[in-house]
Amino acid sequence: MIHLPKSFLGVFPLYMGVEIALGITILNKCSGAYGILGLLTGHGLDVMQWLLYVSSILALGVYSQALKQVYSPQLLMFSLAVVVYSVDTVLTCFFTVWFSGQWFSSKHSEFTDPNSQTHQSDTSASQLNTRGNTQKSQSASQSAEFFFTILITVLALASRFYFNSILMAFVQRLLRHPKYIVDIDDIEQDLKNKNWFARCWIKAQHISYKWCRQNLA
Amino acid sequence: MSRLFRKLFLSNRPAGSKVANLETSLDPSVTLRKLRNYHVSKTDICHYGFLGSVLLFVFVVNPAVWIAKISVYSLFAVLFLVPATSQFFFNALPIFTWLALYFTSSTFSAEHRPPITVQVLPAIETILYGDDLSDILAASLNKPLDFFAWIPYGLFHFGAPFVVAIILFLCGPPTILRGYAFAFGYMNLLGVISQNLFPAAPPWYKLIYGLSPANYSMKGSPGGLGRIDKYLGLNLYTDGFSNSAVIFGAFPSLHSGCATMEALFFSYVFPKLTPLFVFYVCWLWWSTMYLTHHYFVDLMAGSVLSYAFFQYTKYFHLPLTEPSVYSRWSYAEIKKFSVWFTDPLTSNDNDIENIIVPTGDHEIELNSLENSVTPSIFDHDRSVSRSSATSNVSLEVQDELMSSSRPNKQRID
Repeated sequence: MIHLPKSFLGVFPLYMGVEIALGITILNKCSGAYGILGLLTGHGLDVMQWLLYVSSILALGVYSQALKQVYSPQLLMFSLAVVVYSVDTVLTCFFTVWFSGQWFSSKHSEFTDPNSQTHQSDTSASQLNTRGNTQKSQSASQSAEFFFTILITVLALASRFYFNSILMAFVQRLLRHPKYIVDIDDIEQDLKNKNWFARCWIKAQHISYKWCRQNLA
Repeated sequence: MSRLFRKLFLSNRPAGSKVANLETSLDPSVTLRKLRNYHVSKTDICHYGFLGSVLLFVFVVNPAVWIAKISVYSLFAVLFLVPATSQFFFNALPIFTWLALYFTSSTFSAEHRPPITVQVLPAIETILYGDDLSDILAASLNKPLDFFAWIPYGLFHFGAPFVVAIILFLCGPPTILRGYAFAFGYMNLLGVISQNLFPAAPPWYKLIYGLSPANYSMKGSPGGLGRIDKYLGLNLYTDGFSNSAVIFGAFPSLHSGCATMEALFFSYVFPKLTPLFVFYVCWLWWSTMYLTHHYFVDLMAGSVLSYAFFQYTKYFHLPLTEPSVYSRWSYAEIKKFSVWFTDPLTSNDNDIENIIVPTGDHEIELNSLENSVTPSIFDHDRSVSRSSATSNVSLEVQDELMSSSRPNKQRID
């Protein structure tokens, strides 16, 4: 059993962490809509981009529903949210590696060619000047550019993992709380009268709930 | 005019309510007396210590003549001492601190500034969001779109903070303006600090110079707003952005931060209009990318900063809004968000929401209690206010509900 946090940032109640995690993730998931909007400017998308943008929009819908009920949560909804969030975290790691590869491979020749305008040579120790003395020293070195790129990427991923653990901890506490006991049989009887989307939604909630009960309770 | 104002804002004023009253005294001894009786908390020390340090830094570093700096600081000291002005100016201290730092930023010499990054933001945008979103959205230009992008970025952005402040003051609960000034000021202040500590080139730089190294002798660019200047025969944006205080301050986007903060506060007071405010933020995001002023990652950083400050302010400072109340003078008392009471994981036996009740007649009765107030665009679903509304249910009703409860649990929602 993995160790899950008992509070948000060690001080605040878990629901605050959930509200902040979902809010920040929703903001980021809006990128899906802008990626697809790019089609209108004549820009084509490859398969991976389609996958990223469509999954972002779908996840945005689930997180928005969960965020609406943070103060009075329903276990089924939050089970779905935590499962989607966890799958989304795995996908995010994969996409990060994939698109990092794309960026660095496309810019490799520009970064390493000393004749390229982009190339920013690292000042050697013997040539150290006070920063700002020369115009060249006012620009970040190539290694600084790489360092910040990797740092921000790693921080974004680390915060995602932390938010995922906060969501899991919240659902675990919901599962153990007598107030949020769920009777799935009642809902299953209603399924026949629902439309296709509602049936899929409820089925997804049930599968997620069973997964959560097995792994988090 | 005054009759209309009375009808709109003062008609539902509770008798004897003083919470919405404004301070009209001009006597500084009132402020001094309050100051003597004030108990300083650790949060106050952090808050005023931080703002004081920034203001001291600005006082020392700003190249204006000493007499001018002393005069400005003295003027503010007087405004803080006079109760009638203090209630607005002192609460806006984070905003003044941000403005002081922002306008001093242009005077920092190149040798004291960190090196400028030009590749980090486009790289992060591709890595985290799958493509150069800002590049793609600025690929196809035309005149109607230029104007459509100009409205939120070049017009609304500069007036919206004042409009939002006035509406919040009139329609929100008393003291909400204080929370807005706190969150708005801190978000911008941290944004400007970040822009100075992590200078990064905006998308217009990439369009003009590619990813070649930048330096501080370079002038800023109005990006797509230059086209608006041409259409209107002005030099407004070209002049303004060429001599901007933070030319390489792409990260985070404070346009995005401000729009998000305004949308969050408006959604808090007018929850039924939330889709409209979400549309405004999305519109502004698109326009900043279309006008080549920010990468998508900058927009996210600005919005996340706003969201974090708004949430903090909501939890610890903001007064709770009441459904169907749209005037500050209609509030009889100020209620604050209770961090513990709102926690869905805490069990409170006195909370009506924790009582086990059956579905049936009783639920209908409770729902009718909840819905007895005429709905309006200001109504919203918030568990805290709902709890306070249902707490009016008498103890006898609670006992009755308890005794008739069934084993399968159902919450009143």
